[in-house]
Amino acid sequence: MTSSRSNGTAKKTTFRADLVIAAKLALAALLAAIGLTASAAGSVLSEPDQQCLGCHSAKGLEKKLANGETLSLHVQGPAFAASVHNMIGCAGCHADVTLKNHPPVKTKIATTREHTLALTEVCRTCHADKFKLYEGSIHAALLRDGNPIAPVCTDCHSPHAVRAKAARESITDVPCRNCHGSIFDAYAESVHGKARSQPGNMSAPICADCHRAHDVSAATTGDQLKNACLGCHQGALASHQTWLPNAARHFDAVSCPACHAPAAKRKVDLRLYDNVAQQRVAEKAGVPQFESRARLADVKGAGLDAMALQSLLREFNREGIDNKTTLRGRLEVSTGVEAHQLAGNAQAIRDCAKCHRQGADPFQSVTISIVGPDGRPLRYGAQQEVLNSMISVDSVGGFYAIGGTRIKLLDMLLILALLSGVAVPAGHLMLGWLFRRYAKKIREQEASRRAGAQGQPQSAARPTDADAPK
Amino acid sequence: MPSIYVHPLPVRIWHWINALGFVAMIVTGVQIRYVGLIDLMSFRSAVVLHNWIGLVLIGNFFIWFLFYLFSDKIKVYHPELSPAKHFRASFRQLKYYGYGIFKGEPNPHHVSVYHKFNPMQSMTYQVIMLLLVPLQFYTGVLLWDVKRFSGMIDVLGGVRVVDTLHVLIFIFFVGFIFIHPYLASLGHTRTAHFKAMFTGYEEVEDEAGHTPLR
Repeated sequence: MTSSRSNGTAKKTTFRADLVIAAKLALAALLAAIGLTASAAGSVLSEPDQQCLGCHSAKGLEKKLANGETLSLHVQGPAFAASVHNMIGCAGCHADVTLKNHPPVKTKIATTREHTLALTEVCRTCHADKFKLYEGSIHAALLRDGNPIAPVCTDCHSPHAVRAKAARESITDVPCRNCHGSIFDAYAESVHGKARSQPGNMSAPICADCHRAHDVSAATTGDQLKNACLGCHQGALASHQTWLPNAARHFDAVSCPACHAPAAKRKVDLRLYDNVAQQRVAEKAGVPQFESRARLADVKGAGLDAMALQSLLREFNREGIDNKTTLRGRLEVSTGVEAHQLAGNAQAIRDCAKCHRQGADPFQSVTISIVGPDGRPLRYGAQQEVLNSMISVDSVGGFYAIGGTRIKLLDMLLILALLSGVAVPAGHLMLGWLFRRYAKKIREQEASRRAGAQGQPQSAARPTDADAPK
Repeated sequence: MPSIYVHPLPVRIWHWINALGFVAMIVTGVQIRYVGLIDLMSFRSAVVLHNWIGLVLIGNFFIWFLFYLFSDKIKVYHPELSPAKHFRASFRQLKYYGYGIFKGEPNPHHVSVYHKFNPMQSMTYQVIMLLLVPLQFYTGVLLWDVKRFSGMIDVLGGVRVVDTLHVLIFIFFVGFIFIHPYLASLGHTRTAHFKAMFTGYEEVEDEAGHTPLR
């Protein structure tokens, strides 16, 4: 119902906006035809827009809403004149405003959020492609879930000061920092952020270069971020292969920041993986199973141990194909902030022993995860022992780091083999030494018997009482 | 003492390369698995050495394999098809090592060109050469490039399963590398079998020429 109503509104708005835009474009074409440059036309406000700004450029112009919020009605004229939206003018977005209904004293605006959401639909009329991308994003998923601060178009793009993409790529002008302040601060101090801060350096990546501007996905799901790294660092695999054994495997099982953010705390995320669909297991919206199953398996409530992990996997494999669901591990940094603390190559971890030794830091923290309905991972804690237990050989078959996650039982077997290797020869030699007299006596008896059988006296070899065992 | 030629040159070449290689594989394998506990070399150096020596040993294995495949000497590996006979002979051999050898009894097994292994050796070497060594090479190759062989690794149950199998066989060979030379020292002299593996000629003791274990 809601959807069809909004669609209807959008269609009306689209039609009216299209008319306005068409008129504006026709005017622009006419001006160009008579010799005026496009830039000159673009920086000058049209007469109707000047009329709007006659009131709306007044600082402090605002409207008190019923819920007590204040809706600012102020528009900075010069900023709007310089914006790309100058071309479509005020009516391009506010097409519902007429002299008869303005100011909209009869139109009640319940909240600023409601007002913003309503106007966001207007963006769709011209930016349908970007809107479609946005609707597949984690931001839109949060909005659908009713998150009151989930960003919509105007939260990132100031509607009255929208500039061409190329004009607003400065590090100081990134809207992402409004919500992701701590992450942005970490980025700003990173090798990428510092490079971007250099005057004129537009090649170093900024938020949208890795996370994309509109179809932002959850950072820890999918291969998008790894591909973003490799998109610029195209020779990374080849350069790692010159010194890193099993480099391709490392690229699969270790996130880039795990080594390139050397100060970060690392952990292992064991991800439920659907071997038939060849993708991570995702929880269906409205059918929450993962957490309840994990809680059920975690009898002690101290995090999943090796047995509980097996039990959880059995639950996910209860129906259908055997071993359809397995676990694939990935070594990653603990937080989003740490993921942005990327250092230069010289500081990156190259010491294999950081991970490939018993008790290594990355293997002290373990989570099990699936992809949640909104695209973000759902995690449940597991005990560190799941990485070192013989019981986990099957369940955690997809993740293993030599040395760091070695199985303790095998260590004991190795000690046993070493002891046996030494004890068997030593014991055998010892037996030979202990029985040397007994063996000598038997040999002499046998020699005597043989000699007797041949009819020859062998008194020297005959045993005496002194040789008898005591 | 009469001697017979039981260790042809290709077998001796294979044996000594294999012996040195296995010791090196065990040393580097221990270093790879126990970083921090043992620091003979860096982890990376140990991995690189382990990989290269492993490849040499795989090539060396084919010296042994091709020699026996195209030689009538393969009879030394022919199994005894009668289980009763095999186990009776094995028990006799076990009794010799556990008791008779202390008394100076003669070894119940008499070496000949086509029967150089006693029943226990015969069974053990069949398992080692036709099962454990190839399996160790196979799992080693899979672990050498996990990404390239990920399909096969997944079929086997994952990288942890493959590694566990590799380590279990490694543990067996650690025990073997101690016990094998000791058993080789139980000839009519302590060094007889070692010399034979260099010269190819095994001295054959007569009935009365046996010596007790000292």
